[in-house]
Amino acid sequence: MKRFEYKVPGGKLLRAKLEVEAGKIRVIQLTGDFFMQPETDLEELEARLIGSPADFATIESAISEFFSAKKTVITGACPADFAFVINQAIRI
Amino acid sequence: MPISIRFLDLKVNDAYTNMAVDEAITKARGEGKAPDTLRFYMWKPSAVTLGYFQSVEDEVNLEALQRFGFNLNRRISGGGAVLNSERGEITYSIVLKEDDPRVSTDPIESYHYLCLGIIEALAVLGIKADFKPINDIVVAGKKISGNAQIRRYGAVLHHGTLLVDFDAREMFGVLKISKEKLSDKMIQQAEDRVTTIRRLLGRQIGFPEVRDALEKGYRKALDVKLAKAELTPYEEGLIKHFRERYASKDWIYRR
Repeated sequence: MKRFEYKVPGGKLLRAKLEVEAGKIRVIQLTGDFFMQPETDLEELEARLIGSPADFATIESAISEFFSAKKTVITGACPADFAFVINQAIRI
Repeated sequence: MPISIRFLDLKVNDAYTNMAVDEAITKARGEGKAPDTLRFYMWKPSAVTLGYFQSVEDEVNLEALQRFGFNLNRRISGGGAVLNSERGEITYSIVLKEDDPRVSTDPIESYHYLCLGIIEALAVLGIKADFKPINDIVVAGKKISGNAQIRRYGAVLHHGTLLVDFDAREMFGVLKISKEKLSDKMIQQAEDRVTTIRRLLGRQIGFPEVRDALEKGYRKALDVKLAKAELTPYEEGLIKHFRERYASKDWIYRR
C-alpha cells in the first residue's frame, strides 16, 4: 500500500493510502483530522476514484468537479489538497 | 432579560453513551423535540475518541489502549483524535438549531462563537485564553481545548474537551502523535504543545470548581440563563438506539 501524508499549512492533516494497478487506482482510502460535510461525501469520492487513471490531471479535475457538484463544505483543507496528497502517494 | 437554554449538568458515562447522548440531543433539537442545550460530561473508563475521518491504525496504539483498559470510540464529527481521560478533563456540548442566528454559516466564525464559553470559563479561573482557528483554544500558544462541530438533523452540535490535568505517559502512550518510538524526549516535546488548568494555576483544582467556572463562562458568553433539566423520554429512546452503533466494531473500525 502506497501512503502519503500532508499537513495543510494553517489547516489539517490529510493522508492517502492507495494501490495502483495497470495505471489505475485499485484501492484508495483518505483519512485525516479535517472536517467535511456532508461526511458521506468522502466515501463517495473514494468510490468514484476507484478505476480512475492514476494521473494528476485526471484526479485533480475529478476531485474538483466532485466537490463542486456536491457543494461539499471542507474545513482545514481544499479540494486541491486532496488531489495533491493522492498524487504524491501515487508517485511513491 | 436573557433567553433560557436547557442545561444538562455534569454526568459521567462511558464513551458510547456519551456520543449517543450528543447525537440524540442533536436529532431531537433539529426535529424541534428538544430545546437549545448545553451539556457537561465526563468519561469512565477513559477513551480514545477518533474524528470521523481518521483511521484506527494511523492514530491509536491498540496495545497500550488495552494495557490501560481504555475504550476506543469514534465521533460523528471530524477533527483529531483525543484521549478523553476520566481523571483529566471535562467535556461539553452545545446544540442549537442549524439556522440559529447566533451561529454563523462560516465554520471558523461558528467555532469561535461556540468556543467563547470556554474562554470565559478560563477567565473566571484567572486564565487568559484565546481562540486559535480552526478549532482550538490556547493559552500562551499551548492547546488547552479542542473542539469539533457537525451539522446534522437540522441542528448544529459543537462538542469539545477542556484539559484539567493530564498524564503524558497515558496520552502519548495511546495516541500515535509521531511514528517515532515513545521516548522521554518525545513526551517532552509533545507536552510543550499542550497545557492544563492545574498546571497553569499551580494547584490541584477540583472538578466542581471547573464545572462552576464553565457554567458561569457559558452563561456570560452566550448571554443566556441555564435551566437545569434532564433528557426527555424521546431522547432516552434515541440514546439506546444510537449507543449500539457507537459501540459496534463496524462503526469504530470503519476507517
